[in-house]
Amino acid sequence: TPTPSAASGTPTPPSRRLLGSAFLQEFRNWETPWAMEAMHMVALEIRLLAEKADRELVMSGKNPDKLQAAGSFLMKVFGALAVKGPKRVGALYVTCQLFKIYFRLGTVNLCRSVIRSIETARNFDFEDFPVKDKVTYMYYTGRLEVFNENFLVADQKLTYALMHCNPQSESNLRKILKFLIPVKLSIGVLPRRTLLEKYNLLEYADIVTSLRRGDLRLLKQALDRHEDQLLKCGVYLVLEKLELQVYRRLVKKIHIIQREKEPSKAHQIKLEVLVKTLQWLGITMDVDEVECIMACLIYKNLIKGYFAHKSKVLVLSKQDPFPKLNGKPV
Amino acid sequence: MRVILMCLTQVHFSMATILQNMQTITITTHKQQIVVLCSKEEQTNIQTAPGYATTNYYYQTDTRNDGSSGNNYAQSYQNYPSSDTNAAQSSSTVPANSFSYQQQYNQWPYYYNHSVPTPAGNPVAGSSNIDNTVVNTTSGYSYPSTEPPPPGTTPWKSNSSASVAPPVQAPSVPEPQNQYVQQAQLTPGFQNQYAYQAPGVPMSQNYYANQAPAYPQNNMNVNQVPLNNHGDQQKSGSLTTGIFSSENKTQIPTIPRIAPGFSMVIPKSEKKTVGADLAKKPAYVSVSVPKNDVKAVQHGSDARSLPFSLRNYATRNLSRCKDEAQRAACQSMIQQITSKAISNGTLLTKNWDTEPLIPLPENLLTMTETSSANNSSSLPNSTPRRRLKSRWEPVPEEKVTEKVEPLAKPLMNGNTHNNLKAQNRMGDSWNLGKSLQSPHAPSNKITHRLSKKQKMGSYSSVVQNGDNSSDSDKEKDLTKYYANASALANSPEEKKRREHRSKRFEKSKDSSSKSRNSAVNKGAVAHIHTRRPISALVTGSYKDGSSLAVEDMDWDALTVKGTCQEIEKRYLRLTSAPDPSTVRPEHVLEKALSMVETSQKNYLYKCDQLKSIRQDLTVQRIQNELTVKVYETHARLALQAGDLAEFNQCQSQLKRLYREGNNGCYFEFSAYNLLCVMLHSNNKRDLLSSMASLSKEAKQDGAVKHALAVHAAVSSGNYVIFFKLYKQGPNLNSCLMDLYVERMRFEAIKCMSRSYRPTVPVGYVAQVLGFLPNGDDRSEECEIWLKAHGAVLSVDNGGELQIDTKASSSTLFMPEPENAVAHGDASLAVNDFFARTS
Repeated sequence: TPTPSAASGTPTPPSRRLLGSAFLQEFRNWETPWAMEAMHMVALEIRLLAEKADRELVMSGKNPDKLQAAGSFLMKVFGALAVKGPKRVGALYVTCQLFKIYFRLGTVNLCRSVIRSIETARNFDFEDFPVKDKVTYMYYTGRLEVFNENFLVADQKLTYALMHCNPQSESNLRKILKFLIPVKLSIGVLPRRTLLEKYNLLEYADIVTSLRRGDLRLLKQALDRHEDQLLKCGVYLVLEKLELQVYRRLVKKIHIIQREKEPSKAHQIKLEVLVKTLQWLGITMDVDEVECIMACLIYKNLIKGYFAHKSKVLVLSKQDPFPKLNGKPV
Repeated sequence: MRVILMCLTQVHFSMATILQNMQTITITTHKQQIVVLCSKEEQTNIQTAPGYATTNYYYQTDTRNDGSSGNNYAQSYQNYPSSDTNAAQSSSTVPANSFSYQQQYNQWPYYYNHSVPTPAGNPVAGSSNIDNTVVNTTSGYSYPSTEPPPPGTTPWKSNSSASVAPPVQAPSVPEPQNQYVQQAQLTPGFQNQYAYQAPGVPMSQNYYANQAPAYPQNNMNVNQVPLNNHGDQQKSGSLTTGIFSSENKTQIPTIPRIAPGFSMVIPKSEKKTVGADLAKKPAYVSVSVPKNDVKAVQHGSDARSLPFSLRNYATRNLSRCKDEAQRAACQSMIQQITSKAISNGTLLTKNWDTEPLIPLPENLLTMTETSSANNSSSLPNSTPRRRLKSRWEPVPEEKVTEKVEPLAKPLMNGNTHNNLKAQNRMGDSWNLGKSLQSPHAPSNKITHRLSKKQKMGSYSSVVQNGDNSSDSDKEKDLTKYYANASALANSPEEKKRREHRSKRFEKSKDSSSKSRNSAVNKGAVAHIHTRRPISALVTGSYKDGSSLAVEDMDWDALTVKGTCQEIEKRYLRLTSAPDPSTVRPEHVLEKALSMVETSQKNYLYKCDQLKSIRQDLTVQRIQNELTVKVYETHARLALQAGDLAEFNQCQSQLKRLYREGNNGCYFEFSAYNLLCVMLHSNNKRDLLSSMASLSKEAKQDGAVKHALAVHAAVSSGNYVIFFKLYKQGPNLNSCLMDLYVERMRFEAIKCMSRSYRPTVPVGYVAQVLGFLPNGDDRSEECEIWLKAHGAVLSVDNGGELQIDTKASSSTLFMPEPENAVAHGDASLAVNDFFARTS
């Protein structure tokens, strides 16, 4: 088997993998998990060495496959731990190491089998795992749910991670918030600016502002500015979908202004007003496009009302025309 | 020699009969005479039969691939049937069969004169023999080796006439001058070889024994002709060059694959009455040597290295060279070594297989010293068939050969035989497309490939192509000659043989499978193909079946080189190794591509053609701009035809090709990729990584921008923007969007029926949802579509058709796609299939 540390320069070349295998062999035979910490250390070391080896392989222009090999080794370790009995406590740690490998490799679909064996186990309560492993586990599974645009579950998992995370560990909190904030935004919960400042997540600041103001231009600018970063961490598509919420905010503002000026006709918003507003924001859209956006807003339950095509008027419901999302995704 | 000598015992009865007829000498005790003979050989360093066999075997291969030597091949093949019959009869050891020997005898004189150039050490030989050999020898010696050879065609003619001539009682060859010419054409190495051999042919028995090697020699001589012609072309008459050029000619697929199985069967045939299939074996095969001769035979067999192994050695060295300078230096080193070996007289006795490789130029000088020292020392001391430890070939079975004589003998028999037989068989399997081999170990044969590749550089491609094309023609002509051999392939004997063979290769399987895994890329098919003959060859000549070091394989050098000149070719998924004669080289593929591009035929035809082009590119491992162009063309055509499966195949290949730095329409296909991921796979992670991988320049490209805009429209559900983009899509973006249009329209109409009240005009819907104007009323098509999807339509006061949105919102449905078939792929529908094949 290839060793994670076979690349030149790493301290203990193939011996690390051999050590790991031998240790795993012995560990299987021990009935008590007394060597759990050592096993975990082996798992951690193998992952770190593999990452280092891969970096060096990339620099020397070779194919970095060590991390992948480390992944398959850790899968064996997981197999040895995810059994009935006292050893199971240590399984979640290895799971988290596997998550780290898979996320780095971009093969997150491999996570599924591990998750299944963790979550379907009846003889072991999830809460009995160590807290640190639980937090890591929830963080990664939450991220997976973000990819799947499964915002409610993602919110639940990431919130769990946030709540149980060691409050001293600011970098971990920041990591969690990095995904939790977009999820919360998409279900209509906006963070305070102080939170963004505290955890240095200011890339979201403009987006939050645009949501507050209905400033479509600001949203587009913010997305453009942080596009690379947001794409990399995988929340770009989530934030992109906030567009409709910004439209809704805009319509709501127009509605409020109209209500102040002319209460009797406040619930009827003329299409040309909307087009003009968007033009003022620097967004050129023709009537059909704006009409389509309004139709979409109604269709997706962001606005209550209907659109009268003949008269080109958006007619808002008199009762609660802008229903709160209340944790419901768009 | 050794093999043939061994063969002697088997047929000594019948032999005696014939020999009595033919020779002036009466043989009383065969065994004794053979002993004498052999000891003489020993003293004079006679060249051994295994060596001959091997050499000829390869040369034969050369011949087949040489466009110019077709005649010879045919001629030599004609000889097979007669000797085959003899084989059967002789193995049954019935004296009554002597007439067949006489038949056979027709060939012998001719061969004999080739192989016996020196009469000096021939105390008992028939007078006619002596006459001939005297002529040959003197001429062979006096003829300057460096002199340019005469035109290659002449000797074959004389050859064929010689073999056809029926001098039953007189073994002398009618045209000694021809022989002389042929020998003159030989490189110094060959002449040496003759010199060595000569003393080993003193008796009539020996004369007989020589027939087997002589037979191949015939081939060999003729094969030398094209070889030397090449030398002429290259303006270089040196031995080394000759070696290289002849190697360059070699094509692996033509190498016998069956050889190893042979030796296993032969013992059986000796005991049994021979069946019809066995009758096809040449006579000399079943002959074996008396036991007490073994020692001598083994001594003789030591001098086994013939120019083939030397050539192998040379190419092995050359293949390690990294650049031209090194190669040139290496080449001159090899020449030095060769000439030294010639002058030492060790050229043929030296084991080139075990010779250490020449170190790359820095330490070349020191190496020469040692190797020449080896040359001189290896001659007297070397033990029969025992090789030094070599990383090329393990030696485990050598001892067995010596100790277990009865078992080893038939094996050795098979050796010579194998080569000839294997040619038969190989020709058979080659032409009939049968692959009889089990997975074999790789071997020396690679070196042929290597040198072949080298040749590509030095020879003009025109020459190459000309040779190759005539080669394939010739193969067709030869097919009939292999008919006999083909019958053999299905016999029960053959099956047993195959079993044996596969057992024998079990130990080498590991290494070969390993190497196979390493070659699981595109060229894998080609590799497997070439490896089979290689291994057959190795086991044929060394019969231990041991594998060569896998790390020495250069897969690049094994890639198929196509020779087909046809522009049009139907696609057929390969079920066996590719046949170079049906694979088109790059310049033909270019023509084929432009033919497809300009063709007026339908997509199915073009798809078929492009797939065959892709296959040819793949088996030849061509990965350049042409490859990109082919895949791009196919991807575009597939898009236009809505063949998403084929498009995806092309797209994934293109991604890799672009990544490897091949130029092409990268932006265009990035856009396609984006559209494909967002519209069809709907995998957010893929989309994210696709978007993240876009460079700044790519994002400025029109097509990519369009694709990103489409993404935005789809993610916000903005059907108006979507259909606007659909109308103005650059390149074939719209084709990809096509496949999403139906879904988008349905989504749009659901949205409209939900948000519009009380009605929405059909005309507006038609305009917004991108229905094409149909005359002056474009809503007609839209109306049909709406009705098909369950929308409730009504006519308002103004006479305009409207959608009743409230009623429609509950009645909308997505109809089953009309072209859907049970198996999910309309293009697999039976009717369509028939349309395709007709």
